[in-house]
Formats: sequence, C-alpha cells, structure tokens
Amino acid sequence: MLDIRSLSKKFGSGDSAFQALKSIDITIEEGEFFTLLGPSGCGKTTLLRLIAGFEQPSGGQLVLDGKDIATTPPNHRPVNTVFQSYALFPHMTVAQNVAFGLEARGTNPAEVAPRVDEILGIVQMAHLRDRKSSQMSGGQQQRVALARALAPRPRILLLDEPLSALDLKLRKQMQFELKRLQRELGLTFIFVTHDQDEALTMSDRIAVMDGGTLQQVADPRTLYDHPANRFVAEFIGEANFLSGTVAGGKLSLIGQAPVPLPRGADASGPVTVMIRPEQVVIGAAGGDAITADGRIEALVFSGTDTHVTLRLQNGDTLSLRAPNNSHATTTFAEGEPLRVSLPIGALRLLPEDVADAA
Amino acid sequence: MANKRFDVTHVPGAATIAIVTFLALYIPVLILVVNAFNGSDTAGWWEGLSLRWFAAALDNAAFRSAALNSVIVALAAALLSTCLATAAALAVTRGRQIKGQGSIAVILNQPLLVPEIVFAIALMVVLAQVKQVTGYQGLGYLIAAHTTFCIPFAFLPIRARLSGMDLTLETASMDLYAGRFYTFRRVTLPLLLPGILAGFMLAFVISLDNVVVSSLVKSPGQETLPTYLMGELRRNLTSEIYAISALLLFASISIVAASWVITRTKQ
Repeated sequence: MLDIRSLSKKFGSGDSAFQALKSIDITIEEGEFFTLLGPSGCGKTTLLRLIAGFEQPSGGQLVLDGKDIATTPPNHRPVNTVFQSYALFPHMTVAQNVAFGLEARGTNPAEVAPRVDEILGIVQMAHLRDRKSSQMSGGQQQRVALARALAPRPRILLLDEPLSALDLKLRKQMQFELKRLQRELGLTFIFVTHDQDEALTMSDRIAVMDGGTLQQVADPRTLYDHPANRFVAEFIGEANFLSGTVAGGKLSLIGQAPVPLPRGADASGPVTVMIRPEQVVIGAAGGDAITADGRIEALVFSGTDTHVTLRLQNGDTLSLRAPNNSHATTTFAEGEPLRVSLPIGALRLLPEDVADAA
Repeated sequence: MANKRFDVTHVPGAATIAIVTFLALYIPVLILVVNAFNGSDTAGWWEGLSLRWFAAALDNAAFRSAALNSVIVALAAALLSTCLATAAALAVTRGRQIKGQGSIAVILNQPLLVPEIVFAIALMVVLAQVKQVTGYQGLGYLIAAHTTFCIPFAFLPIRARLSGMDLTLETASMDLYAGRFYTFRRVTLPLLLPGILAGFMLAFVISLDNVVVSSLVKSPGQETLPTYLMGELRRNLTSEIYAISALLLFASISIVAASWVITRTKQ
C-alpha cells in the first residue's frame, strides 16, 4: 500500500550537512499497525514527516496506492497526523477542531456535523464537544487530536509519539484503546515511538532504526527472539553478550567445552553470542546446554522476579532472572556460588555490528 | 526564598524614590486636568468647577476640524501601518529564512533610529517639491508620513504574539487539507488578532500625538490636534487649551488601556 523506496533526507548542505535518513526501503501493508522505533535522532520522526509531507525528501520515492507522493504538499495527501503536542487549535471548540479537516477539504456541510458526532462517539468525547480545547486534560486532548485526524477518513494515520506526554496508567490504557481502534477501523497506522515496550505490545510490525538507517523490520516476536544485530538486541529487551569462538562447527563459550552450533547458525572465528536473561536456567538444564559455575555479585528485587548478576569463573558477567513465586526453592545471597545453564537453542550468534564500523 | 537574589524593592529608600517619581510624572498632568474644569474667565485663577471650557472647545470650528483631521490621519495611518507590520512580522517569523533579515529590522526601525526632526525636515523638503508638481494638498501626505513612523510600534506586539505562537498549529492545519490562505484565515489570523489590535491601537495613539512630523509635513491651513494646540499656545494660554489637552489625554489613556486589556485577556 505504501512503498518507501530508497528514501533519503539530508538537512543543510556542504560541511554542515546532516544525513537524517540514508536510503530507507519499507513496504507497509494495508491495515497494518506499523511502528518506527529507535532512540532520539535515529530518523524515525524525519521519516514520519516525509510521509506526512512536512519535509521534502532529498531522494527516493514514496508510493501510496501506486502514485508517487514524495513531492505532494501535505494538504493534498490522504494522510493525517496525531502530533506529539496534539496541536489542537486553541481558539476552537472540540467539535470545531474535529470538523476542521472536513471543512478545509470542502466536504458537503450537511455531512460534516454527523461525521463529527460519529467520530467523537468513537473516541468517547461526545459529551465535551463544545468545550474549548485549552480546558481539557492531556488524555482528553489526546482523544480529540485522534478524532480530528480520523474525521477526514485518511488512508494512513501517522502518530508521532502521541502517548509520551501521558502518565503511565493513562498511557497503558491509551495503548490498548489505540490498538482496539486500529483493529476496528482496519486503518493503516504508522506509529513513532522510542519506547520499546509500547512498540512490542501494539505493533503488527516494527522497524528498528538507528543513525538514519533501518536495522531490522519484523514482527515483535521475531525482533525479540531473532535480533538482526547487537543494536536491535540491546534496544529491545535486555540481553547478555558473550564473546565466543567457532572452530570446526563447534562453539566455545565462557570457558566451557565446545558445543554444537545452534540450529541454523553458521560462523567461524570469533563471534558475539546473545542470550536473554530469562532464558538462562538456574541449575542444570535438560537437553543441550552449556553449564557453568559463578558467584552472585548483585541481587535486585523487582516484584515478579529478582534480577541476578552472576560473575562466571572465566570472568564474564551474566544477568538472569529468578522468579519470585512461592514454590521457588532456591534462596539467593550475594557472594554465594550458583550453577547456571545456557540452553543451546536460546543462544543467538550476532554479526559484528555494522553500525559501529561505519 | 533561600537564594539571595538582588531585588530592587528591598533597597532602602526604593519606595520613596518610586513615589516621588510617580508624583513628578503625574502631578503636572493632574494640574492640567484640574485647570480644564476651571470656571474662571482667566486661566490660572480658580473660580469653581465648570464644564464651560469643554463646551467652548466643542463649539470651536477650528478645533473640530483639527480633531477630525487627527482622527482621519490616525485611523488611516494605524490601519496601513498595522497591515504592513503584520506582513513584515509574518515574513520575519514564518516561511523560509530570508537573506538579510537583520537589514529588515533596520528598515523597520528607521523611525526609532533617525531623529524625528531630521526625518521631518527631509520629508518637508521632498514633499514641498511633490506638492508643487502634483498640486495635491490633501491629508495623504500626513497619512503616508504617519504610517512610516507607526510601523515599528505596530510591529512589536504583532511579532511578540507571532513568535509566541506554536508553529505546529499551522503544520496541523496543512496536514488537515488546508492550503496556505485557508490556514492563515482560520488559524493564524484568529490567534494573531489580539496582537494586531494592540498594534493598531498603539499606532493610533502614536499618530494622534505627533507634532514634529505633522507640523512640517502639513499643507498650509491644515491642522491636526497637536499642531492646532501648538499654534494656539503661541498666541495665548486659555482654559480652552487645557480642556482640549484633557480631551486628548482621555482619548489616549482609554485607547492604551483598551489595548492593554485586550492583550492581557486573550494571551
């Protein structure tokens, strides 16, 4: 539906030029909840502004429904935005804000009021339709901003970190509602965030970005289970990185005897191996695993589980989780020895980081 | 407060200085206003409260014509300068960076940089030629001259309002299918209106009050309120002059107060 082809954006020129986006290629499907995720300055907001038309690309194409819209001005694109600051018009009421896009587009006046009422009903703001936008809470403004962007029935809804100004409880609730709304409307959402939890819980697919380049585009589970590189593994969730060597199809790690490579992995020489803390098994594991002994360096209680930092005998540190359920038998203390196992199926071999070399 | 910041109101004698300054500024004005209500035939000789000099002023055809001229010139100059100042403020704070934005500020502030008398003499010399060639002697010269020096005064509140405005609002409008003109009409202009009104009123007062430029630019026989007062003063100080001055003062104060109220409440 939306084809982003070799899209690039450079700000400034000469020595002060800044390459915000370096040749981005993504295809976004109809009805998809697509998230652009990355740290600040990674280019995700620039990409969103290019799709909205607030910026002109330096190169590449933006093909929406078969038509290149890369240079179309924003008011001629069937794309609407929910802004981070909401950007509600302060001199207008809720209903006037929502009607704005319909009126600017020249919708038949008889159709404007019913559509405004319909959409205000959907976001549960009908009771505040005559309120001035400056007299509302952040959560209410958020809903109005959403209604205003949805009212003209855009082909794609763009959301620029729309939840970042809300407190945690409200944010969780809005995450749920946004997702529900997107499913019910069957509308394509492109959502920008730097919050990996938000991205994982809401998205159909996520594009992880860093330094103006795409690091990986995949569904949340694939991103978490099979990160393409160290950046993705580190940015999404927590990860242990261990240095190992591969020789003759066998992997030597943390000073233990060589084991067969995980399925599908192929490498030789020095490698970086990733394992998630919750995949580390306390005690001996059944099946193929590397077992090692270490000493507990730190314990941090975090409610559902305890974060354990373990110093292995070869000097590597490993972080892992000990569940805090009532039938947990082992008790832990700092300085105590602990035996752990790394199941081979949970090990991920990562390529040397390309972003660091560039 | 824990941190010791310098606060001028805590300097010994600050209150006294403030009160003395206030009295020095307003007592002469107060004396003028009191004299305007003097019922006596001779100025300076008190003979009880009366409105007779206000009545005399309003009955005076020369005053009425001067007042009318002043209002026409001030309205026209304020209107023109506000339009120009709005355009300038939009150009400076919106759109692409224009080359030489610094020089735009210099041009706009010309009336504040060039001494008024120098500007007035220059205008007099040029306009004398123009008047001779065209034969036109009307209020147009005064309106044009007043427009120029009103621009910076109209510009300041408008620019302040514009730069305080969230640019995202205009972006949002464009995102919602509005073109440039529609965005200006439905978003920028309504939000800018308090600044424009304040600028208009400030310009109006500045024009109403001008003596130097008016007296050198006006055609023979033309009078504005301030030039009329100057002329009358040269002949004789009467209570009527007090009354006229008081009227001018009231007009000025009410306009400035109105502009202050508008900018405060709509902010």
